[in-house]
Amino acid sequence: MSRFHPLEVTDIRRETRDAVVVTLKPVNGDASAFDFTQGQYLTFRRDFDGVELRRSYSICAGKDEGILKVGIKRVDGGAFSTWANEHLSKGEIIEAMPPMGNFFTAIEPEIAKNYIGFAGGSGITPVLSIIKTVLAREPKSRFTLVYANRQVSTIMFREELEDLKNIYLGRFSVLHVLESEAQEIDLFTGRIDAEKCAALFSTWIDLKAVDTAFICGPEPMMLAIAAALRDHGLNDSQIKFELFASGQGGRAKAKAVSVNAADQGAHCDATVTLDGATRSFKMPKQGESLLDAALANHMDAPYACKAGVCSTCRAKVLEGEVEMVTNHALEDYEVKQGYVLTCQCYPLTDKVVVSFDQ
Amino acid sequence: MSDTMNIDDYLAQGGILSSPSNVSPRYRGELLRLMATFVDSELAGSAGFADTINDAPGIKQRIAAARITLEKTDHAERVLNVMGTFGVDKARYAVHHPWAARVARDADLGTSRQATDMRLSVFYYPLQGWVDAVVMNVLMGRAVGIQLTEFSKVSYAPLAEVFREIAPREARHAELGVEGLQTIAQTEDGRAMAKVSIAFWKPRVAASFGQSESKRFETLKKFGLRHRTNEALLADWTKDIDALLASLHLN
Repeated sequence: MSRFHPLEVTDIRRETRDAVVVTLKPVNGDASAFDFTQGQYLTFRRDFDGVELRRSYSICAGKDEGILKVGIKRVDGGAFSTWANEHLSKGEIIEAMPPMGNFFTAIEPEIAKNYIGFAGGSGITPVLSIIKTVLAREPKSRFTLVYANRQVSTIMFREELEDLKNIYLGRFSVLHVLESEAQEIDLFTGRIDAEKCAALFSTWIDLKAVDTAFICGPEPMMLAIAAALRDHGLNDSQIKFELFASGQGGRAKAKAVSVNAADQGAHCDATVTLDGATRSFKMPKQGESLLDAALANHMDAPYACKAGVCSTCRAKVLEGEVEMVTNHALEDYEVKQGYVLTCQCYPLTDKVVVSFDQ
Repeated sequence: MSDTMNIDDYLAQGGILSSPSNVSPRYRGELLRLMATFVDSELAGSAGFADTINDAPGIKQRIAAARITLEKTDHAERVLNVMGTFGVDKARYAVHHPWAARVARDADLGTSRQATDMRLSVFYYPLQGWVDAVVMNVLMGRAVGIQLTEFSKVSYAPLAEVFREIAPREARHAELGVEGLQTIAQTEDGRAMAKVSIAFWKPRVAASFGQSESKRFETLKKFGLRHRTNEALLADWTKDIDALLASLHLN
């Protein structure tokens, strides 16, 4: 299982009104654990009023910069991103897991490749890491970036991208598409949808010459661009995705307080929710796991190993208490939030309410 | 078009997820189940095939059997690595079940799962000698080819990529099987033995495509984890296998 390592904030720079770039340095000689591949992300954890939150942010540094940098854009109501934008300061220590993610292709210095990248808003962070790395390490390759933003003032890394254009003359180009600011060319105003993609592919971008496309942004943009790329002949293995899901925002709720903690009988009233449907049944407190009881009551609950190893049967206890006999898969913070491995759970209270949907 | 959308709507429209932090709890459960089925089947298949190395009639055949045994374990590891990103204890998982365990040859398992591992029920039947192993490998190998075409489109990008890498190597395993079966089918004795094995394995491999009208299919389809029905995949396989066996005079 991945371990968290301490990182020191060596620099924090405001990139736009709503986004900061944080430079990090592993402490305790953990540097090798953070030897990233372009396009990967870091998962951070922090305690907010007793509730641990984990958030992933992409690395925006290239392989040859010799430093670790992530871009964090403030999301409305997002506890972690707001904290990073407003309170995080130089010298602080934060914890992160080693880099993860598959949003990259292998570097092949000898080969001349044509890449296209689509980034929406803060989706630029991993794409920037890829751009800097491939331009430096694949001297014959070219990269075209289509970068969607609301307006000029929200464009992250605008100057850095301009600098890259000058350093790699003829090998790197950027098309800025702005949603709410008119530009000289109509095509570059508005949202990137199927129509705009079709127009881009017929005039500005020769998709037939493209080896790999990278897309990173919010859901609707990912869908529109992926569909357009497939319609224009790219196959699935040529399209690399990194979804910046909106679902990451918000704050995790603390575990619900047990309503009826007294142990009264040998049976328990179990209420289980799966796929929006809720079923109630009686089950023995001993001898039958919560998962087996749900299965016996004709609920198609997910499971695999039944040994507390794979976590397929994970669910959340909303009310009551259970005993988890074995746990090789859930981490402490998940258990604290009420998550259990149902294959290893036996009720302790006379009533338990469990959901596979949360 | 708004800036963001519900993740279920996104998936229903063909959206692709890229990291454990993207997935919903139910998606997570179904994705892990799908991966566990694949890992357990590869580990059990590889464990069963290991004995075949010693049944091989020549050096080339020994190499082929050893290669299949090795690479199927490697494919299990690649998918297990994806499971690891969801918190699965990989070291424990790899040894949590006796993968070489088999039932009696005449047991009737249908499509139901046995005990506590997720292998397809076809991997619970024991192999009986070289010809039997070759036949099983051809029939199942072609089924895996069809299933991997389906799985290469799953909405979880890191897994789809692994399946796309694995697919050509699994196809090669089936090819090695066909080469072996061609040799076997050259003699009358060989054809007779092969036909007995085909009669045994064909319905069992067919059952590995799963039940028709599976309720879970709708859930999986909604999540973008499945696209074509069990029946459609089975029909493709039946057509493919019937043509192949006819070409070898084994039908």
